[in-house]
Amino acid sequence: MAPPFSPAVVRADRVDRVALCGRTKTGRAAGGQDLITEPDDVTEAMPVTSTTASAPGFAHLLGNPWLRFAARRLGRLLVSVWVLVTGAFLMIHLIPGDPVRAALGNTAPVELVEARREALGLNDPLWQQYADYLRHLVGGDFGTSMLSGLPVSEVIGDRLPATAELAVLAFALAVLASIPLGLAMAVLTRGGRRKPVELAFTSGSVLLAVVPEFLVAVGLVYVFSVELGWAPVAMRQGPSSYVLPVLALAVGPASILARIVRVETLAVLQAEYIRTARAKRLPDRRVYLRHALPNALTATITVGGLLLGGMVAGTVLAENVFAWPGLGSTIVGSILAKDYPVVQGVVLVYGLGVLLVNLVVDVALALLDPRSTIRES
Amino acid sequence: MSELTFEDVTVRYGSGRREMTAVDRVHLTVPSGAVVGLVGESGSGKSTLARAAVGLTPVAGGRILLDGRPLPRGGRRPLQMVFQDPYSSLDPRMTIGSSIAEAIPRGAVPGAAARRDEVARLLDLVDLPADRAGCHPAELSGGQRQRVALARALAGRPDVVIADEITSALDVSIQGTVLNLVRDLHRELRLSMLFITHDLAVVRYVSDYIAVMYLGRIVEYGPAESVLADPRHPYTGELLAAARRGGPQAADTVPASVADAEPADPHHPPTGCRFHPRCPVGPLVHPDRTVCRDTAPTGDGRPHRAACHFVSSAADPAAA
Amino acid sequence: MTSRARWAGVLRTPVGAAAAVLLGAVLLLAVLAPLLWGGRADEVDTAHILAPASAEHWAGTDNLGRDIFFRVLVATRTSVRLALLATAVGVAVGLLLGTLPLLLGPRLGRLVTAAVNIAVAFPGLLLALSFAVIFGAGASGAVPAIGLAIAPAFARLTQTLAASVAGRDFVAAARIAGVGRVRVLLRHVLPNIAEPLLVNATMAAGGSLLAFAGLSFLGLGVQAPDYDWGRLLGEGLNGIYLNPAAALVPGVAVVLAGLAFNLVGEAAAKAVGPRTATAGGRKRATDDARPTPTPTPTPTTAVPVRPQQSAQADALLIVEDLKVSFGPVTPVRGVGFTLGRGEAVGIVGESGSGKSLTALAVAQLIERPGRIEARRLELLGDDLLRTPPRARPRLLGTSLAMVFQDPMTSFNPVQRVGRQLAEVAEQHLGHRRGPALARAVDRLRAVRIPGAARRARQFPHEFSGGMRQRAMIGMGLMGEPKLIIADEPTTALDVTVQRQVLALLADVRAADDVAVLLISHDLGVVEQVCDRVLVMYAGRIVEDLPVARLRDGARHPYTRALLGAVPDLATDRDQPLVVIPGRPADPAAPTPGCAFAPRCPLADDHCKRADPALIEDGSGGRVACWHAEQRPEPAPAAATEGEGR
Ligand SMILES: Nc1ncnc2c1ncn2[C@@H]1O[C@H](COP(=O)(O)OP(=O)(O)O)[C@@H](O)[C@H]1O
Ligand code: SF4
Ligand code: SF4
Ligand SMILES: [Mg+2]
Repeated sequence: MAPPFSPAVVRADRVDRVALCGRTKTGRAAGGQDLITEPDDVTEAMPVTSTTASAPGFAHLLGNPWLRFAARRLGRLLVSVWVLVTGAFLMIHLIPGDPVRAALGNTAPVELVEARREALGLNDPLWQQYADYLRHLVGGDFGTSMLSGLPVSEVIGDRLPATAELAVLAFALAVLASIPLGLAMAVLTRGGRRKPVELAFTSGSVLLAVVPEFLVAVGLVYVFSVELGWAPVAMRQGPSSYVLPVLALAVGPASILARIVRVETLAVLQAEYIRTARAKRLPDRRVYLRHALPNALTATITVGGLLLGGMVAGTVLAENVFAWPGLGSTIVGSILAKDYPVVQGVVLVYGLGVLLVNLVVDVALALLDPRSTIRES
Repeated sequence: MSELTFEDVTVRYGSGRREMTAVDRVHLTVPSGAVVGLVGESGSGKSTLARAAVGLTPVAGGRILLDGRPLPRGGRRPLQMVFQDPYSSLDPRMTIGSSIAEAIPRGAVPGAAARRDEVARLLDLVDLPADRAGCHPAELSGGQRQRVALARALAGRPDVVIADEITSALDVSIQGTVLNLVRDLHRELRLSMLFITHDLAVVRYVSDYIAVMYLGRIVEYGPAESVLADPRHPYTGELLAAARRGGPQAADTVPASVADAEPADPHHPPTGCRFHPRCPVGPLVHPDRTVCRDTAPTGDGRPHRAACHFVSSAADPAAA
Repeated sequence: MTSRARWAGVLRTPVGAAAAVLLGAVLLLAVLAPLLWGGRADEVDTAHILAPASAEHWAGTDNLGRDIFFRVLVATRTSVRLALLATAVGVAVGLLLGTLPLLLGPRLGRLVTAAVNIAVAFPGLLLALSFAVIFGAGASGAVPAIGLAIAPAFARLTQTLAASVAGRDFVAAARIAGVGRVRVLLRHVLPNIAEPLLVNATMAAGGSLLAFAGLSFLGLGVQAPDYDWGRLLGEGLNGIYLNPAAALVPGVAVVLAGLAFNLVGEAAAKAVGPRTATAGGRKRATDDARPTPTPTPTPTTAVPVRPQQSAQADALLIVEDLKVSFGPVTPVRGVGFTLGRGEAVGIVGESGSGKSLTALAVAQLIERPGRIEARRLELLGDDLLRTPPRARPRLLGTSLAMVFQDPMTSFNPVQRVGRQLAEVAEQHLGHRRGPALARAVDRLRAVRIPGAARRARQFPHEFSGGMRQRAMIGMGLMGEPKLIIADEPTTALDVTVQRQVLALLADVRAADDVAVLLISHDLGVVEQVCDRVLVMYAGRIVEDLPVARLRDGARHPYTRALLGAVPDLATDRDQPLVVIPGRPADPAAPTPGCAFAPRCPLADDHCKRADPALIEDGSGGRVACWHAEQRPEPAPAAATEGEGR
């Protein structure tokens, strides 16, 4: 459900980035710290570097910006996972009243409730429950469904592939469609050119960005299934059944991303290094693809990266419209049925998915932008 | 009118791997009623020293004293500061009158009418008509804003005013106005001032004493005429050479290794004398001067002192 | 512009007005619909269960035969009310979390910031679902769930905005003045971030409306017998084959309402956002705008600009009556000069006088909407106004080198320095990748960059400022430059580094007989490198004279004032500096007479009526002043008057 929550997210990041730039600009670039001298430049390089303070061995390893980046990023991932796991654990304990009683209903006999509580370990002290929970998680044990009695890991194993397929396809579509579109729009409308095109693009993308995926989904179902009868309404049967859910999921994020790409490209085209590139009299294609695009992309990822994580959760709504047999339908059903262990497990899986996407986004950013690895986050 | 003293002041930024010492064991005195000009290249720690003095940046070591006593923590602030960028130093949402009024110590001027008069007096002091008090900063030019910032600093009834590059963001045609004002204010109010700039010519015009800063250390300090006429630290010499206008520069008198040396990285300052990788009279040129690499030079206690093992002055027989 | 005027401006844009009307309608409907149609919406009609859309029931009926269209109208109140409630929760929590770091101080504040950053990484829906588990399905659970889900993003926005305001000097000044943290927050920080926060709260309201519809659609929001758009939509979806309207009408309602909030926010953001941009000077010119040759000397210029006849024969660059305009504004108004081979000419003037635009125009780097006009513009005998564009890249790419002011930003940050140099050789000299790179390394060495081969493999941010500027000059040397245009090449550098770069420019010039056009606001810099100085004021050259005569032979009052306004090492410390009263000329408001007249101590009525032409003075200089022969009083008495009054 990226669109309903996204505008604030997008903006927050934008400001953040501005602040970041400010910081990188004040910091002075360090140069000449390597101890390796160039064979062809021995005379020039030697004296300056030889006496600057330098630390050998382990510290030198830490001196590698990539290792430091990896260490820092890994640390952040671990903290996030811990927060996620703890959050999932606390979620159940924060529910007012007795979750087991709530799940089994008021008519359930007291003995059954008590037995269930005992089985779930709900009568143990909190810290012990927490320790047990962590231990079980490490062993791959997500608990047992209160309703079906099946292990939660099995339920997840059943449902995860359908959701993952959907998310990955939508992810790919959104990225692949938005970048060329945004770039082309930026080039076409730069410097106030082609006002009508700009108006059409901006208003169209605002509209698409605002409509949440479940409404897009309903619209798509109406047009393609009800009116035209082209695609199956629901279920996961054959490649054609993927078209509408993937579209529904990707359209919103894609249009937001395309807007960001356009805005960032326009900003980059104003940059001084683009003027340098033009002063070198490079052909336009080279200016746009070699100089503008990589910079616009790094900016886009910084600003829009969280959007892609949001798509993971967006599957919930799309799945419910298309009766897609994934985690999304499972979690909603489980919440309504108060099957808390399942909810807990699915939330955990979604959370991990989001963290994974964010990690991929950060690594992509680091690869694209050499400065980001030395940037503290 | 008071004497401001920095005693062995150290300021650090960041922590762990990214820690850096922006100001390193600085001794500096702003004598009562005098203007001390602090020059140095950007990143040498001038602003950090200023921010530490007014309490915006915590001090990692040493003491900052006013007339021999530590600065008071609350209440009236005897130190005031004027910042470089006139576009960021005034709240765009406040009239300049209320910006100035805010800085008037509580209790100093009781009553709304009296405060208004005080604001008018301060505006007049910086050559702005009193009726400008109702203006927002957006309606003023850069030079006018800088004068408002000066008025705000004076509103705090300071004993010492610190001016951090207050002319460098201004257009050339306007810098002169602000410098004239600084000089007039100093003469009228006999304020002690720490005047920070990177331009030696500007410093020469307003200061009684000059302190030269390099990579977090004061490398030369002395009466203005003496420092300018007889620079003892090679870095001061370089600054002077760069500031000397007219005619092409004699850059070829120094060896290429020195002329093209890179500015040092403040995160990894050079050992010994911090200037040695760039010094035209240091170990690069005189290989026997290894002491520069190993031992940090300190200035002696004389009124005009330089932190250099090979102080270059004809007037100083101690130097070889 | 005051903030009220800005907000009013929102309403004047078509999008802003439409959005505001839409939003007004939605809010009005929320108030009135239940009063007007509450009864009809609940009217059970067992005779028409699940009827499709008809003239009687525009959107059909539900499983109790109730009219869906009216139910959608009536549901406006619940939907909007709950969305606003959730937004209020989210904004309140977000504001609290966002301002906490400022109140708590750096150490505890960092903890809050870190927590918010982790929370932001999780998508809102996931948070909302988790909170819905805790608070239970139903409207009273969904409000805090959605509110708390919005909160992290809002907190983060508040934090970043607040931090950027708190980092500005006026907050530092307030703290020095003894203003406490709470007061700083209330008086300085919040007023300065209120507008963007309001904009975002508006958008967040749209977001929570849609989110609420989503939760209700899933069955986790509003529960029967209550209903909102999301529930109606969910019910309608079940019968989409029989009665599509039952799903589409609530869907359209959700979209319209969501759009109303978001568009109002967008329009307001546009109005609020670019405040800094309007304050921050002119737009940069980069793109390639086709210059239009002026067929005949334009009659609009009352003043003929006389080119120098003397050096025409071996002239490298000839500029005559050059004008650069952006729409109605003409910041360069008829500039003419010639540059001989190997000659070094400086252009000085204050910011906004047209120095950079002149340089960019010569380099053919003025972007649309900028327009270049000139009577003559020739480089190396090639008419830049008429050469077909296709033939130009090579000429300009190899014979003309540019060095820009800010070495931090004039290299592409994500490409290795060596590649950025090599590109030129690949493009214009037909080198392959390897030889091109070798040449790049060679050129870096030529500009005395230590460890050139290693440096070529580094990124620009690994270079220091001075080194970057040298690399920039090296880039210009990739071809066989005949002219180097350097626009404030040392302004961003420290004085000692500045000296290195200027010395390098001088060396390059001496080695290959390259001409230099050096732009600077600093007369001292120009004196060090150049043979001749062009002084620009308000888009014109007002004086052109040999550097040797600058200090004591300057004849234009502006040149003389510039010399006296900036102290040098010989300035008399007991005299006040020369003051140039008033503000620099505004290119958008040209005056009929001499542009300097409002600030000139010698100005008389004639000056205010007629613009003096730039005429040769017989001794190798040119000056544009009616009173060039006259000298002003040595020390202006108006010293304290300044630009203040
Ligand atoms: N807030 C900060 N955090 C980390 N480093 C800083 C900060 N402010 C300044 N520095 C660093 O401290 C050094 C001294 O900076 P500064 O005092 O601003 O020097 P100057 O005023 O002489 O230009 C520089 O290397 C600068 O990058
Ligand atoms: S101590 Fe040595 S290196 Fe340092 S300034 Fe003096 S001579 Fe140069
Ligand atoms: S023409 Fe008149 S106003 Fe213009 S500079 Fe000369 S004397 Fe001053
Ligand atoms: Mg500074």
